[in-house]
Amino acid sequence: MTVTTKGALGELFDESLYSTINRFYIAEAWLLDERKLRAWLDLFTEEMVYYMPRRKNVNRKELAREIPERGTDLPFFEDNRKLMEVRIQRLESGTAWAEEPPSRTRHLFGNLVIEKVEDDGTVHAKTAFICHRSHGETTTALYSGYRVDILHPVDGSWKISDRTVVLDANVILDKNIAIFF
Amino acid sequence: MKTKKYDVLNTETGRLDPTIYSDEEIYKEEMEKIFGRAWLLIGHESLIEKPGDFFHTYMGEQPVILSRDKTGAINAMLNICRHRGARVVRTDDGSCKSFVCPYHAWTYGLDGKLEWVPGEEELYDGTIDRAEMGLKKARVATYAGLIFATWDHDAPSLEDYLGDARWYLDLEFNRSAKGTKAFGPHKWVIPINWKTAVDNCSDWYHVPYSHASAANALTRIMGAPRMTSDVLWKKKGRAAFVNGHQVCFFRLPDDSFDGNPYGMDSTEENHAEAIERLGELRGDGVMLGTHSLFPNTVLGFRIVIPRGPNETEFWHFSHTNAADTPEKQREVALEHAAQNGAGGHFESDDIDNWNQVSQSGKYAGAREIGQYINMGIGNTTTDDVFPGQLSDRFVSEQNHRFFYSRWQEFMNADSWDDIPLDPMKANFEGTASMDG
Repeated sequence: MTVTTKGALGELFDESLYSTINRFYIAEAWLLDERKLRAWLDLFTEEMVYYMPRRKNVNRKELAREIPERGTDLPFFEDNRKLMEVRIQRLESGTAWAEEPPSRTRHLFGNLVIEKVEDDGTVHAKTAFICHRSHGETTTALYSGYRVDILHPVDGSWKISDRTVVLDANVILDKNIAIFF
Repeated sequence: MKTKKYDVLNTETGRLDPTIYSDEEIYKEEMEKIFGRAWLLIGHESLIEKPGDFFHTYMGEQPVILSRDKTGAINAMLNICRHRGARVVRTDDGSCKSFVCPYHAWTYGLDGKLEWVPGEEELYDGTIDRAEMGLKKARVATYAGLIFATWDHDAPSLEDYLGDARWYLDLEFNRSAKGTKAFGPHKWVIPINWKTAVDNCSDWYHVPYSHASAANALTRIMGAPRMTSDVLWKKKGRAAFVNGHQVCFFRLPDDSFDGNPYGMDSTEENHAEAIERLGELRGDGVMLGTHSLFPNTVLGFRIVIPRGPNETEFWHFSHTNAADTPEKQREVALEHAAQNGAGGHFESDDIDNWNQVSQSGKYAGAREIGQYINMGIGNTTTDDVFPGQLSDRFVSEQNHRFFYSRWQEFMNADSWDDIPLDPMKANFEGTASMDG
């Protein structure tokens, strides 16, 4: 029996659903950090979008335009499945110098909030993250941000059809965004 | 006082002294002798469309407000309050009636004039000369929607500064009377000396290997044109060099990457307009490849902003033909970003190379052995049709050599009087002009 209540933040809170989505994200973090990128990409649907907007420095009263609306701006990423395949195939080639030798990353996904569950089981969830990247001998970068996902129940697990990654940064303090979140 | 004379490039052997990448004193001198004198790309008219709009940018290291005032005129002003030096603007962009310094509320107009000082009578006894205390202004000029500025009032006109390089730049920036539209920028900080990103604009030698992973995956999955050495080394285009600006161009239809019958244009109609504006040869027979404008505009509409000998902020804008539909413009912009933005398939793989080239200047062994940019040395030619100094092959290091020679001309000059400009000889067929 599932118990659905309102969580502390007023979000929908179903213990069993919360637990399964949380475990999904923990498994995702390990795939990224263990460099199993093809398995990671398989967590997404064929019609997927991996989207990362810019984040502008604006006055508090203009925060509505801090993150430009999708379709109006130049995001860091707005990749469909094919473009993501290009990224993964590139990294697998052994000559993608941005990640050769590969980075050591550690992704911590947390603060899960399930915002909406649709009748067909589609879940809208957001998570916060911290990610540390260590590359080459001494290069490091620390990313933080949040992700907003649309997930679908597929064959006993979940597939992401739409991911928005918002970094807590204006000017990115890393030599390239050659890792995923 | 006479300027210190640099001799960093042996033009007979192509040997380059890597000290120019890592030396703190050289870097400081560059900020003055190059970024204090040259015309610098700082923005695009589409970023400040309406009176009151502003966009925050940089000229070299220095923060600059780019604004459109009530008269519609474009202003570039040092973003440093005349009172104590705080930054007057602290956001990326916006729209306003005046700029108010957050420290003591000195208030400047959109044109930089000092309009109001708190306590002007009560505290300063009316001694402030407001007419003399506006924000420091740069000279501004535009070319086909691109906005340039210089601090040097003795600099030549922008038209003369670009010279015959404009014959090539028109191929991308001046195809339509509607102009271009800028999207972005991505901003990120990379551990390189700014010059390495600039000379790389003419470096097609690195493409088949540095960018093999990106090019091959794009070919396999997206059907993109091959970028292997057997393709690139046979291109009929050349590298051209004018006044410090590097251009690589392709000849159409032979060098076409994707077989588009309209070359750079997406429709027959756009193509017809481009021919009318640029003439038959430029509209139909030549395509602009990678290019840079001296000193720090790279490949399209991107800017490398120096932050120290080994630190550079990279700004990536995508620019699109405003004659295209919004959907087409977006497709082009996203493709640019996927290839050369902060997470670009191509751009990402350049950074460690540039970082290590830059760092090498710190090592005695590297200074002893030097670097070599000698490919195609002694083979530079000129041509009646294609302006500038031309390489003998498409893949060449001619423009690297000319770039560092130009760098040296700026660094060794006491003033603009000592900096030569190539005579303008190009035949600008068609109706396109500096004004678009």
